[in-house]
Amino acid sequence: MTDASSAPAAKDEQEDPTGGPSPVGIPVPGVPADAAAARAAPAPDADADAPTVLALVVPAPALGASGGPGGPEGDAGAGGKEGMPGAGLGGRRRLLAGRLARGLGELLITAGILVALFLAYQLWVTDLFAARTQDHLHHQLVEQWNRPPPAPRPPAAGHARPAVPPVPLGDGVAILRVPRFGPDYAPVVVQGVSVADLRRGPGHIPGTAMPGQLGNFVVSGHRTTYGKPFNRLDELKVGDPLVVEVRDRYYTYRVTATEVVLPNRVDVIDPVPKHPGVAPTRQLITLTTCHPKFSASHRLIVYGELADTRPKFAGLPPALRGE
Amino acid sequence: MYAWLYRHLPGPRRLRPALAAVLVLAVVALLMLVIFPAVEAVLPTSKVAVGS
Repeated sequence: MTDASSAPAAKDEQEDPTGGPSPVGIPVPGVPADAAAARAAPAPDADADAPTVLALVVPAPALGASGGPGGPEGDAGAGGKEGMPGAGLGGRRRLLAGRLARGLGELLITAGILVALFLAYQLWVTDLFAARTQDHLHHQLVEQWNRPPPAPRPPAAGHARPAVPPVPLGDGVAILRVPRFGPDYAPVVVQGVSVADLRRGPGHIPGTAMPGQLGNFVVSGHRTTYGKPFNRLDELKVGDPLVVEVRDRYYTYRVTATEVVLPNRVDVIDPVPKHPGVAPTRQLITLTTCHPKFSASHRLIVYGELADTRPKFAGLPPALRGE
Repeated sequence: MYAWLYRHLPGPRRLRPALAAVLVLAVVALLMLVIFPAVEAVLPTSKVAVGS
């Protein structure tokens, strides 16, 4: 052990000042000597010779291997050329094969490292990104709520009702709280479900109802990456509260059903889920995420219905007070 | 490959490990900030909404 580790270091020091092929004398004869020893080994009393052969053979590869990535490969190469006249065509071929094998090995190791890095990125780094963005969104939303609301514009010609300014894509819409996921669970729901929007937080599908409105408030969120906001959606039970906090009130929805569907079931986000074209009469919520975890083969859908609306001046809704 | 790269790093011998470390960090940053987000967008784990 100590031999193997100290030998290359000593070799490095030697090689530094000279920089020339002088240290070549150490490893190069190893190759032919090696082969010679191997040929000589089965001679007369092999049993007695065996330890010596081992002693001869082992140090040479040990030197080569430990000196590998540090850089003395060039010396080995140069040494190889110098040793060529002795080694002949077979030695050259062996050298080439060794280089190819090393190159292939390095490629495979690189591929493995890339895959491991990508996993680390998916499982942890995206969480860091999302945590930063969510922090920022949270501040932004609360700040916006503390300012007086923008006055609704007067109804435009041809429209009966005053238009509420739409939320820009990627901006916060509401804060979702789910007591079953713990008191710290409070992701900001953003507007939009593009790849970029969903990296910021669970996304409200544009065109579906806003919180508390008649119709279906639909939110999609990541299950395993970017803060994993909907990671535990499968733990929700019928009757569990889902509290949606907006500027001036809390909407408490209660889970009515959970379902796993194929990804093409767009009818689950209808104003009345699975009844396309039917006018809504109730205020509903629908949460969607991928299922099973780390897969896109299905979607997990959680349905809920509005059970309670409480203005903020009346304090926290019962669901958030732990009742 | 890596040995070849290391031998072709410029600078005095003592600075090369630091230079190599900086290069490795730069490659990791490029992967994390540019390449992986682009790759991930076409992978199935980012599909959470319904629709084709």
